[in-house]
Amino acid sequence: MSRDKNSQKVTLTSNEGSTIEVDRVVAERSMLIKNLIEDLGDDAIASSPIPIPNVNDPVLRKVVEWCEHHRNDAAQSADDDNDNRKKTTDIDEWDQKFMQVDQEMLFEIILAANYLDIKALLDVGCKTVANMIKGKSPEDIRKTFNITNDFTPEEEEQIRRENEWAEDR
Amino acid sequence: MSAPTRRAAAAAGAPAPKNSILQTLQAAEMIDTKPVLPAEILSTILDYLPVADQIRFARTSRRMREMVYDDSRWVARLRSMGCWDEAEARRRFEDVMRRRRAASGAGRGSVSTGAAKTAGAVGGIGAPAAAGGNNNNNNRQSLLFDAGLEEEKRRMAQQQQQQQQHEQQVREMSDGFETMKVAGTAHTQQDPATDPEALLQVIKNARSVRGLARQEYGKIYGALAPFYRDLVLAKTHTDPLVFKVFRDPERQAQMLANLRTFAKSDWAQGWQKREEKVDAMTGIFESAVLREFEQGYEFWDVDGRMNKYAHVLALLNGSSAAVELFIQKHPIFSDREVLANSMDCVNQALADSITLEPSRRFFEVLTHKVNEQAGIIERIFPNPGHVFWTFVDKVREDIITEYATPLFDETHERSIPSYLRAISGIFEQTLQFLRSLTPPKGAEKPQELLAKELALKVFEPHLDLYLQDEIDEFTRQAEHEVGEWEKKLSEQDASVESFYMGNFTNRQADKKDFLTSFKKVVMMPVTVLPTTFALPSFPLGSPFASSKPAAAAASTNGTNTLQGSRSQSPAPGAPPTVDRSASPLPGKATTDELAAKAALMTSRLEGIKSLFSIEVALSLVHAAKASLGRLAVFIQLGGQAGGEAREQCEAIFVALLRILGNQHVKPGFDRAVAHLSQYNPREVSEHDKGGVAPLVTFIELVNVGDLISQMIDVFYEQQLAGPKIADRNDFLDPAGLAKKKFEQMLDESVAAGLNKGIDVLMDEVEYICATTQLPTDYNPGAAGATTPDPSSTSFEKHASKAPGTIDMDIGPTRTAQRIRDLVSSHTSMLVGSTDKSMLDVFNGEVGLRLFTAVCKHLKRQRVSTEGAIKLIADMNLYFEYIRTLKNQDLLAYFKALRELSQIYLIDARHAKEMATIIADGDRFGGIFRAEEVYEYAERRADWYQVRKDVERAMYGLECCLM
Repeated sequence: MSRDKNSQKVTLTSNEGSTIEVDRVVAERSMLIKNLIEDLGDDAIASSPIPIPNVNDPVLRKVVEWCEHHRNDAAQSADDDNDNRKKTTDIDEWDQKFMQVDQEMLFEIILAANYLDIKALLDVGCKTVANMIKGKSPEDIRKTFNITNDFTPEEEEQIRRENEWAEDR
Repeated sequence: MSAPTRRAAAAAGAPAPKNSILQTLQAAEMIDTKPVLPAEILSTILDYLPVADQIRFARTSRRMREMVYDDSRWVARLRSMGCWDEAEARRRFEDVMRRRRAASGAGRGSVSTGAAKTAGAVGGIGAPAAAGGNNNNNNRQSLLFDAGLEEEKRRMAQQQQQQQQHEQQVREMSDGFETMKVAGTAHTQQDPATDPEALLQVIKNARSVRGLARQEYGKIYGALAPFYRDLVLAKTHTDPLVFKVFRDPERQAQMLANLRTFAKSDWAQGWQKREEKVDAMTGIFESAVLREFEQGYEFWDVDGRMNKYAHVLALLNGSSAAVELFIQKHPIFSDREVLANSMDCVNQALADSITLEPSRRFFEVLTHKVNEQAGIIERIFPNPGHVFWTFVDKVREDIITEYATPLFDETHERSIPSYLRAISGIFEQTLQFLRSLTPPKGAEKPQELLAKELALKVFEPHLDLYLQDEIDEFTRQAEHEVGEWEKKLSEQDASVESFYMGNFTNRQADKKDFLTSFKKVVMMPVTVLPTTFALPSFPLGSPFASSKPAAAAASTNGTNTLQGSRSQSPAPGAPPTVDRSASPLPGKATTDELAAKAALMTSRLEGIKSLFSIEVALSLVHAAKASLGRLAVFIQLGGQAGGEAREQCEAIFVALLRILGNQHVKPGFDRAVAHLSQYNPREVSEHDKGGVAPLVTFIELVNVGDLISQMIDVFYEQQLAGPKIADRNDFLDPAGLAKKKFEQMLDESVAAGLNKGIDVLMDEVEYICATTQLPTDYNPGAAGATTPDPSSTSFEKHASKAPGTIDMDIGPTRTAQRIRDLVSSHTSMLVGSTDKSMLDVFNGEVGLRLFTAVCKHLKRQRVSTEGAIKLIADMNLYFEYIRTLKNQDLLAYFKALRELSQIYLIDARHAKEMATIIADGDRFGGIFRAEEVYEYAERRADWYQVRKDVERAMYGLECCLM
């Protein structure tokens, strides 16, 4: 079975019903799909497509594109999770280009990556967003993330004062 | 999140008058078009943001603020800088809990002034609460409660500040002061120009308080971030603010160190470049300082520039660069006085030998110099302990190793014994040197440990070779000694064996005496071991000074023993003085004593010198002791090297026993046993000496074997078990096993020999019986007066019925006396030399066989009534002798024999009584049956006269008929 694992194909179905056929190794960049295949067995996967109900067609294609490019990356280890405050590494060039999409798409990709459990993609997405809001005012940030300001002006003043130390001067 | 949030936002927006309705609408529109990221993703995004952006993020909404303010986020940053102490945080937390319990108790208890205030503050609904803080307070109750509490206290403190009221409250909530102070200093520290000193200490002063990690980090960030950003952006090394604000290098160094630490908490994108920049700047600064230090070094400005810049560098990064420079350029490494030529040790000594005096002087000078440097290092460096040991390590590498290695290589080529002594001696001296250093205080490890580590480093490359050589050399030497001895033996005629019975009178005492002096010598430090050439006393008096003479003596042993033995062999009766001069151990008092005793012993044991020699054994033990003495110094190293040395010590002991046992003692025993079995009393011409030559030899051998065994035992106790080299209780311990095996071998040899010995002894007994017992002894009437017994002293006591002038003596016959002497001398020789049970068995066997022999002998005799007295005397003699053996079973036999002898005394007229006695089985304790007794009765000289009467009395019916 493992012999033809590389050539094995998996069919994914987006929430709009369109199907994408990808190599099994590519699909298994997603921990969700990987676990699913392990649970269901190879035969079930070969015969029927895997539904991805939370992701629409363009986003799924975009995600698959990323997975194709990163198909040979080393598998992430489980203990990465507990040390999530590691120092940020730079985003590589291909990923930077890949992430040059409109903000809506970017967020969709992040959500999809989160849902499909593709940690590396999620990280790249988050870093991209972080870069996007770097140096922006609170108001801009609110706009970006669709956050409603629920502070009173006094509160706003207090929080500004209490964090004066962080101001760039 | 979308739908409920929108409603909440709308609800929240309503009471806030400043939020225009338009804004709300705008927000609502955006929600429809954009996907919203869940909180955990936002949190991940936050992780990637720089601190300033995180704080801006917090200002967007309450939820975001909560997320950003989350304590763990800031604790992680503090921890990355190494200024978060979990234990401290827990202690504070518990402290606060305790106080809070106390406070709530007090609040409930007292209804007096200020109580309402306190209760209100604790509950978070304080009446005069600041307008801004009120809402905040309600929201933040979900946080860690100690954080909430601290927050409240801080707020309360602010209130106090504003309103300046309720001193009582201040007292109750005294810990509020602390928080207030923190807040206060945090504010002042934001201006670096006003308090540069506080800036320097900011990282050190950081506290670990749960719930206040953000504030703590804020203080550090506020203080250092401006410098950090400035440094990162700086183009040249003159630009950065750090070097402008702080003028003196100490502060600059400390600030740079702080910034390097601070850089560790910067993990937003691009941190690598920023850190590199900081490092580069630090590097520039460091090299500048180092140049200053170096200049100071050139002028030997110890207390001035060197001291100053060493401290600057210590503040910066632990001054490793300065230490390196200091050691690298240190004059000691080119000091002519220190750098001695190790070849002196070889050149100043006799051929093929070595003297450790030059190396001792070398170490003395070195100790002096290094200790001098210790003082200087203490004056220069803030962490002298560490620097000093680094320095010593360099000394070890460049001076000691350089000194020792050529010496070792050279001696190894020239002669192995001096190599062995060089290694052990230099090692001891090195360790001594390292121990006699006077390091400045503040080393991270105890001196002893460091000394051992360093010594091990010097000797590690040589250790394996040395250990191997040591045991090889010992084995070679021991085998050579044994081989030499054997060669000599084969040259001389083995049949010329003489022995001295007279010397054996006080055997046990002699052995004891010998062993005591042996023990004394063994227990003494190696120093007093035989010294062939007496050297002037060693000023250090340390054991290493002595290893040389000991080994020298050992090396000369071979020739000396050769000589000695040769001088002994042609003249076996040589007086002890000759032996003494030939003995290998002339020298100091105790050794002398031992040597003399050994010589005495040897001369006494002349008879067995063809079998094995106690001198050889002694010199083997000495050689082993010298080797062990050299090896034992390495054991104190501990760890793997120490373990190996210990194993090697055991190996030497095992080798000693193997060579001594299998190659020396055992062949000796085998030869003795062979001699024994070839013994034929009829072929030996003289029997007057009172002993069976090979048996005496053998028994002496047993004695010497036992002596050697005891010697080994003492040696084991003193050299191996005493210094914990071998574990006495470990039954798998190779040394213990070897010792047991040796003793077992000895026992087996002894047992085999004794078996043969009994045969031989009995042969001799029978031979004596057959050859010396005169027919007239027991039957004086048979021979004429023409043949008087030459042996018996004429002492006529009894009125003899026999005619003529027969000398009558009621004492035992000469034959019986000789037999008694023979047997008793042999049995007593064994006392104390083998274990008791074996001795008992031996004695029992000897007694039984003696009994048989006597019975057999009796049956060949003809006993007259007169002779019976002699016979009884003989039997009494045997009986008395047997009694000394303290063997009850045996005694019964001889008692029976004594009873039996009485039947000869009965006069022919009392044949009937004789018959009664013959038939009386009880009389003989069941040893003789009536038929047997009857047989003995037949040996009466007048048997044919009394026979009829006896038989008539015995078989009553028959006599009636007749």
